[in-house]
Amino acid sequence: MHEINSRSAPSADFSKVKCIEGFECIQAEYSAYLTDESKLSARPFDYLFFPKSEAELAAVMAELHRRNIPMTFASARTGLVGGCVPQEGALISLEHLDQVQAVYRDPASAEWRVKAQTSVSLKNLDGMLRIKQFPGLEQSPDPVVAQGLRDFREDPNQYFYPPDPTEMSASLGGSVVTNASGARTYRYGPTRAWVRGIRVFLADSEYLDIPRGKYFASPGGQFVVWNTQGVASTITIPDYPQPRTKSATGFYAAPQMDLIDLFIGSEGTLGVVTSVDVALLKREEKVSIIQFLDSDEQAVQLAEAMRAESRLQLDFLEFYSGNALNLLRELQKVEPSTVGMPAIPDDARGAIFFEMSFDPHTEELEYAALEEVIASCGASLERSWAGYESRELDRFKVFRHMVPETINSILAERKKQYPGIHKLGTDMAVPDGHLQEMWQLYKSCCEELNLEWYAFGHIGNNHIHVNILPRNMDDLNNGMQLYAAFARKAVELGGSVSAEHGIGKIKSKFLQYMFTPGQIQQMRRVKEALDPKGILNPNDIFPAEVHP
Amino acid sequence: MKIVVCVKQVPEVTNVQVDPATGTLIREGVKSILNPFCEYALDHAVRLKQAFDNISISAITMGPPQARDVLLRCLELGADEGILVTDRKFAGADTWATALTLAEAIRTAVPDFDLILVGKQAIDGDTAQVGPEIAEILGLAQITYGVEVTLSSSRKQVRVTQEVERGYEVVEAALPALVTCSKGEVVRRAPSFKDVLQARKKLIRTIRADAIAIPEGQLGLQGSFTQVVKVFPPPAKKTNTILQNLEVEKAAQEIFSFLKEKRFL
Repeated sequence: MHEINSRSAPSADFSKVKCIEGFECIQAEYSAYLTDESKLSARPFDYLFFPKSEAELAAVMAELHRRNIPMTFASARTGLVGGCVPQEGALISLEHLDQVQAVYRDPASAEWRVKAQTSVSLKNLDGMLRIKQFPGLEQSPDPVVAQGLRDFREDPNQYFYPPDPTEMSASLGGSVVTNASGARTYRYGPTRAWVRGIRVFLADSEYLDIPRGKYFASPGGQFVVWNTQGVASTITIPDYPQPRTKSATGFYAAPQMDLIDLFIGSEGTLGVVTSVDVALLKREEKVSIIQFLDSDEQAVQLAEAMRAESRLQLDFLEFYSGNALNLLRELQKVEPSTVGMPAIPDDARGAIFFEMSFDPHTEELEYAALEEVIASCGASLERSWAGYESRELDRFKVFRHMVPETINSILAERKKQYPGIHKLGTDMAVPDGHLQEMWQLYKSCCEELNLEWYAFGHIGNNHIHVNILPRNMDDLNNGMQLYAAFARKAVELGGSVSAEHGIGKIKSKFLQYMFTPGQIQQMRRVKEALDPKGILNPNDIFPAEVHP
Repeated sequence: MKIVVCVKQVPEVTNVQVDPATGTLIREGVKSILNPFCEYALDHAVRLKQAFDNISISAITMGPPQARDVLLRCLELGADEGILVTDRKFAGADTWATALTLAEAIRTAVPDFDLILVGKQAIDGDTAQVGPEIAEILGLAQITYGVEVTLSSSRKQVRVTQEVERGYEVVEAALPALVTCSKGEVVRRAPSFKDVLQARKKLIRTIRADAIAIPEGQLGLQGSFTQVVKVFPPPAKKTNTILQNLEVEKAAQEIFSFLKEKRFL
């Protein structure tokens, strides 16, 4: 079925929705809403709304649509590309839509699912799943919801939501509209793979309920959306292929694709997601291992060897460059407990961090495949750290975050002297077979220009984050040119310019590296079909000057 | 030289929430871990082993069969053997019955011990009684709240930096002795995966009630002088006063008077 009907939301009184008017007032009292984790600054905008329900949201959207006022949507504001930083019009904070609505077993797939409003944080969701306590569901007047919760608690297994986009304070809905990914994407895929349904409000304030597997593009590559007035909008799916890597660049498109996939990763430019259904997976015991190595190159070699070993099933496969380890060593010299781990071995010049299933209660542990592959690269498991208790897994995870956090704090200091500088963090992924080539390019170029740089991240997905830290404006200019060269190379190798951060406002200039003007035009037409006035998240994905 | 480290399995409380209705921990999905203070005690033992020759470390715990997991953890972190003191007859033991059982188990399993290290307290019961009780039962000198532990060059004395109210004191005791350990400057170890694999090949001995010379009436619940009758949360403290529906000037006056009355101004 490729035709779908939108519906009207229950009505609410627009005048009763909490609204802060005037940029001066917003600046003075609500400064947190002027940016996100990208640190992009908002331009003056006029209204800040806090709807408490879908009905209030619809009332706000209807009014702003009628008055042609652009609307930007925000939830946890953890994005890295300025997607929720307004440049004009109104900012609508979805933070009060933060309730888990149901936990239920889907009979057809036999999988447990959670239905939740958009602003439930991933951290809170994980906490609720761990202890099987969901505030608000216990007293639900809906007997189906109450029964679902009882059944979930009676299931002796533990469950979790697999996407793990590093920043656990991110909102569930935000992670859906950005198709967030992270370390565990290596095994479980990006957020898209776990979304089973969404409710999305369109620009005119009507909404669509889209379960996965119901609405597919016609053989001619179209969807038709009928509104309650009987007016049809026809969406023509772009015909560009998807890169052979993980990607958060532009709209998803595929022949006879599922309508839900058009909205997942669309960065709120086509509609605002208010509720999502996501699948859960049985939680298994895991062990995290940090394997220390002699060089960055040995780390790249080991990552490829581990990936090629079919007997190893890893949840994630991450990388620390030698200079990233040095950064942490410096912190440990000042305060041994800062990093939360023992002293990093002096001879470690690179490391691989991975996780796999592990049963600590088994008498005999059989890890011959792991020992063999590590030995084949000239490394030894004696030079590793391992942890499997949940406090240990948490400690290792914190260690993983220490590199980017340290980089951010260094840059914050540097900005005091050079306010114009900012971090240059690559987010490119390349297809299998091109990891070594891409790594050599990163390293040789950064060293040639004598830049300060550190590398870490998702080596299992050929997706290493190279962070360049400009020391002055010359470094910044050199780094920006290098960044563009890296982006071109990634595309040339069949990869993606933004594998997980998305495009937002900050990376819109890179869209043209990956797509032809004709393909970008196809994307714009999708936007025009669903948002003819161009008022949803303006300036996101599409550069401001060419915005439809 | 033989060091015995007494350890306990406790709930991992970092992610635990409290049931508001009963005031008790929600145990659903909560795993057990090596009590952190016991881990610090083990850390001191491993440091001594690294600094001095010919030291062996025995980790001992009393508990149900699943307490074996904490012994495995100790073996990963550097202990040479594990001793599991387990029997249904030990169930329900209070601190005294636990100390009596552990003391006798140590006498039985490691009769020639030189030093016993224990955590200052367990994070679930928080009594801090078992260590000192073991010392009393075994007639040992005891030093509590140790944050640094070392041996004299003759290896006949243990020298301990202990936390006291106003700072630290350095005290010595002739061996054999018992030291209870606090956190100090310890950064928790991370074993290698090789250590994790090899720990499964190390020895864990099991000691049951019939192997130790204590009458059954002195074991477990029967041998306990105290019992937990009821667990309840402390009454909520009144922590704040909210001024509502007042004119700004009136509210400011109220706050000023309050601060004045409490001598903050």
